[in-house]
Amino acid sequence: MLNRSSRGLLVVGLVLFSTAGVTGCAEIQKAAEGAARSSGNERLAKTIHGGGTLIGGLLPIGYEEEQTIGQAIALQVVARYGGVYDQPDLTRYVNLVGRGVALTCDRADIDYRFAILNHDSINAFAAPAGYIFVTRGLLKTIKNEAELAAVLGHEIGHVTQKHILDVIQRSKQIAGVAETGLAYANKNPDAFKNVIDGAVKKLLDEGLDQGKELESDRLGVIFASRVGYDPTAYETFLDRLRTLKGDDRAFFKTHPDFSNRLSTVRSTISEQKLKATGILLADRFSRSSSGAL
Amino acid sequence: MNHRHTLLAVMVFMVTVMTMTDAALGETLYVSAKSAQLRSGKTSLDPVVAGLKLGESLEVVKREERWLQVRTAKGVQGWIYATHVSESKPAGGDNELAALGKGFRQTEASSVTASAGARGLDKASESYANRAGITQQHRDAVDRMTANKIPDEDIQAFLKAGRLGEYAE
Repeated sequence: MLNRSSRGLLVVGLVLFSTAGVTGCAEIQKAAEGAARSSGNERLAKTIHGGGTLIGGLLPIGYEEEQTIGQAIALQVVARYGGVYDQPDLTRYVNLVGRGVALTCDRADIDYRFAILNHDSINAFAAPAGYIFVTRGLLKTIKNEAELAAVLGHEIGHVTQKHILDVIQRSKQIAGVAETGLAYANKNPDAFKNVIDGAVKKLLDEGLDQGKELESDRLGVIFASRVGYDPTAYETFLDRLRTLKGDDRAFFKTHPDFSNRLSTVRSTISEQKLKATGILLADRFSRSSSGAL
Repeated sequence: MNHRHTLLAVMVFMVTVMTMTDAALGETLYVSAKSAQLRSGKTSLDPVVAGLKLGESLEVVKREERWLQVRTAKGVQGWIYATHVSESKPAGGDNELAALGKGFRQTEASSVTASAGARGLDKASESYANRAGITQQHRDAVDRMTANKIPDEDIQAFLKAGRLGEYAE
């Protein structure tokens, strides 16, 4: 004779077995929860419900939630970096270069948007879901479109590899938070703010891990090269940054160790056999940016 | 008579096997660009015979340097620029685990926010902006950034003017 708890488990097991082939996991979880409840085992129903929360928290963040997180981080980037620079023609040009590169990147199915930050420092940031920023100071340092394409390619690489989402996922796990994204944001906005503030601190103040930066350097040069830009332009650009002095060196805080970065770019060009096409489009860049910076 | 029938059967069998082998040799690739054009010839000046979408499967007919002759699932044959295809099918949107996570989390979410693609900030982002003291000016800037669309034709025209991508040759 089965006791009540065992009977409940048996019913739940049968429901799981019978629905597994035809429905999604959320439906299975719901069905199992309902079965446990109707068999009079409220405690088991609650456990299944909680299990769903826990598993949901440990699973990767979906695109809809990524958009929410990306937008919230974008708000902080804009606020901390002097707002968006109001130059519609130059913004459209940066978007055309960036979207041209994104068209054949490794995550081409999402929208990428680019904005210029009204800030003299030399920097660029990528928030989840394709919110990408370059500072006015960075654009002043760039000499041609091929350099811009590789810089934007680097930022696109952070999005394709979900680098910030990885940071959020880890911090969430360390803090024992089982949810994030929409459910989390709506039910517990203060906790959502803590998650976003933590990610912003990492992005703007501490900088991402060196491994993530090198991975994005590699992808940046590959993505720009796929469109036909000369990959050696990125090498020239990084070399120019290395010689910067004074306040401009603030960039080094979030993008460290240039010798490592340069050697990564050089080895990517040779290993991937990226063609030196000679396409730099310096004239188009200077026409588009002249008088606007 | 029987002999002729046997011969015919052998010939039919051989043709079938040859056709099957030929089909098996046709490598399958996938469109890896957000959108791509299938052209009647192997230059960007040739007319477009079909518009292709991310993830569409293509059967390779012939490879020639930077261009591939392919056949779509609907049987349309044409040429596509090599950087627009990949050997593995792009994941697209959420991967299976992320979709699973979304399913679980939605059982928890009684109120789902507006889509980030629509004009206006997400409900959750708006609430974050209130808590973090983000000014209206900065909210509007991110809102405009979210809503900013550039038609694919404009991006293609930009690439063409720079002789980039498939317009390089």
